[in-house]
Amino acid sequence: MKKQSIAYALVAAAAVCGTGAAQAQVAGDIMVKVGWNKIMPKVKSDDLTAPSLPGSKIDIKSASALFFTATYMITDDISVEALGGLPYKHDIVGAGAVAGVGKIGSVHQISPTVLLQYRFLAPDAPFRPYIGAGPTFAKFYGTKGSAALTAVTNPGGPPTTIGGDTEWGGTVQVGGNFKIDKHWFIDAAVLKTFISTKATLSTGQTTSAKLNPVAVNASIGYTF
Amino acid sequence: MKKFQILTTAVAALAFLAGCGGNEAGDQSPRFAFTQMVNFGDSLSDVGSYAVGAVALQGGGYFSINGAGATGLLNTNWTEFLAAQLQLAKPCAAETGLNTIQAIVNVPPVPAVFHDTGATACLNYAQGGARVTNPVGPGNALLVTAGVPSTYGNALGALTVPVHDQIQNYLTHVSATFSPSALVTVLAGANDVFINIATVEAQIAGGVPAATAIGGAVTAMTTAADQLAADINTNILGKGATHVVVINVPDISVTPSAIASGASGQALTKQLVQAYNDELAAKLTPSASLLYIDSFKAIEDEVANPAQYGLSNVDTAACTSSSSLVCTKATLIAAVTPTPLTNPATAANTYLFADSVHPTPYGYRLLAELVGEQLAIKGWL
Repeated sequence: MKKQSIAYALVAAAAVCGTGAAQAQVAGDIMVKVGWNKIMPKVKSDDLTAPSLPGSKIDIKSASALFFTATYMITDDISVEALGGLPYKHDIVGAGAVAGVGKIGSVHQISPTVLLQYRFLAPDAPFRPYIGAGPTFAKFYGTKGSAALTAVTNPGGPPTTIGGDTEWGGTVQVGGNFKIDKHWFIDAAVLKTFISTKATLSTGQTTSAKLNPVAVNASIGYTF
Repeated sequence: MKKFQILTTAVAALAFLAGCGGNEAGDQSPRFAFTQMVNFGDSLSDVGSYAVGAVALQGGGYFSINGAGATGLLNTNWTEFLAAQLQLAKPCAAETGLNTIQAIVNVPPVPAVFHDTGATACLNYAQGGARVTNPVGPGNALLVTAGVPSTYGNALGALTVPVHDQIQNYLTHVSATFSPSALVTVLAGANDVFINIATVEAQIAGGVPAATAIGGAVTAMTTAADQLAADINTNILGKGATHVVVINVPDISVTPSAIASGASGQALTKQLVQAYNDELAAKLTPSASLLYIDSFKAIEDEVANPAQYGLSNVDTAACTSSSSLVCTKATLIAAVTPTPLTNPATAANTYLFADSVHPTPYGYRLLAELVGEQLAIKGWL
């Protein structure tokens, strides 16, 4: 398994490099990470509000982007992490009665999150798992409509556009990091965010959806 | 603290990366690039076959609320909404004319003329009153009986060229085959229902047992469906068309006209429409080139759940004229007449029916939305 061999390599690297390191992740440390994050919305959409064809729902596809974090160690075990990154671009597809229409639009989003984290094991352990929780602010913007969206909302009329939205949600996180050396480490985490959004079409209808995405990410970090 | 500078810089960078951007229309071109639309059918697809002579004098031509933008919408007929959505030219009537009986209507007839050739060919062959194969449909001057004023509504002289002949006219005048990039639509059968109901009523009044009369009408409807299916299979799909939309007959038992005929009239109407639709669906050759759209169920749902569609009235005609062919903003019922008359009649957009059987422009838009939805699911839009 390729993934497994990568994991072994990381563990080996952490073990080898870790022996020489004096300390890591103690109170007052600041860590930054950069990596790749994939957001997979688990959408439960309400019907598009009237006037509309009955049962028109939406689904939102996964998207990936570069992400960054900055973490401050408050104590040797407790940290606070700010998570942000490049915008994600999600495809919006039809669901419910309009399942099968395919892509009806797209939306950009950024969802900066602040997490209060607890890190297990000793500060100098080669591998430190952690859990976190905190608020997420999501901004949905830069939407694009489509011929299909216009066809079912205002056929032959001016193109229907999708309004943006801003929402607050909550995120929980489970992750861990492997120490490479005194400064460098590798990190992976899974995040679950509880968040809803309500988009308003230029034709007046709204569509509300629970997004509740799961995100997985891998990153490389540096401790100052 | 240097570490705090790093932290604040990092957080500022994160915030900075928060994007911004407007909400755009996106790609509005359909997934399949249609080059033309050809329509066959009856009044529900008619875009002005009779917008001449006596009808033109009254500002009519559509079987709906007439006048560009009369209700504030950009189009009137569903074929127009759809053409605009598919980025095609506005459809226009392939044949115009009126066999008006001047002695009754006091306006001369207008000879039938075709407009389906040349640079700006009009390829909407649908005509109000058209049946599947029978040349005499509602509104045809041949239905006028001298001395019987109740038949004089037909004196306007609708051409009622049947769908079979409409298709032949295209094949003869325009091209012996259909273009694979043409969208061909067929919506017909309602006039066969109306004529057969009239026949049943006349037979029962003449002493024929109801069961016999109704049985004959059901047979006539399935025969008409067989004929339309054969025409679509042989003369449309069999002549090169690869994008064919067939819309079944809406449930006209929910129209104000059927409601006025009472429960038994509604039941008979529904029975005949269902017999026709079932037979049509069964006899059409299944094909990737064919998209069958169920407008029967759609209109039932519109009537059952009007609010879902933005409708407030689904059983009253918005027009005061008995036929919406000559209905304009000036001939609307008080509830939807705009004040002043120069304003669009936006209140009419909450009414489903313009007259006792035909939709308002908004009602037609709902049909266009259904067709658009189904085209998108099919991958053609």
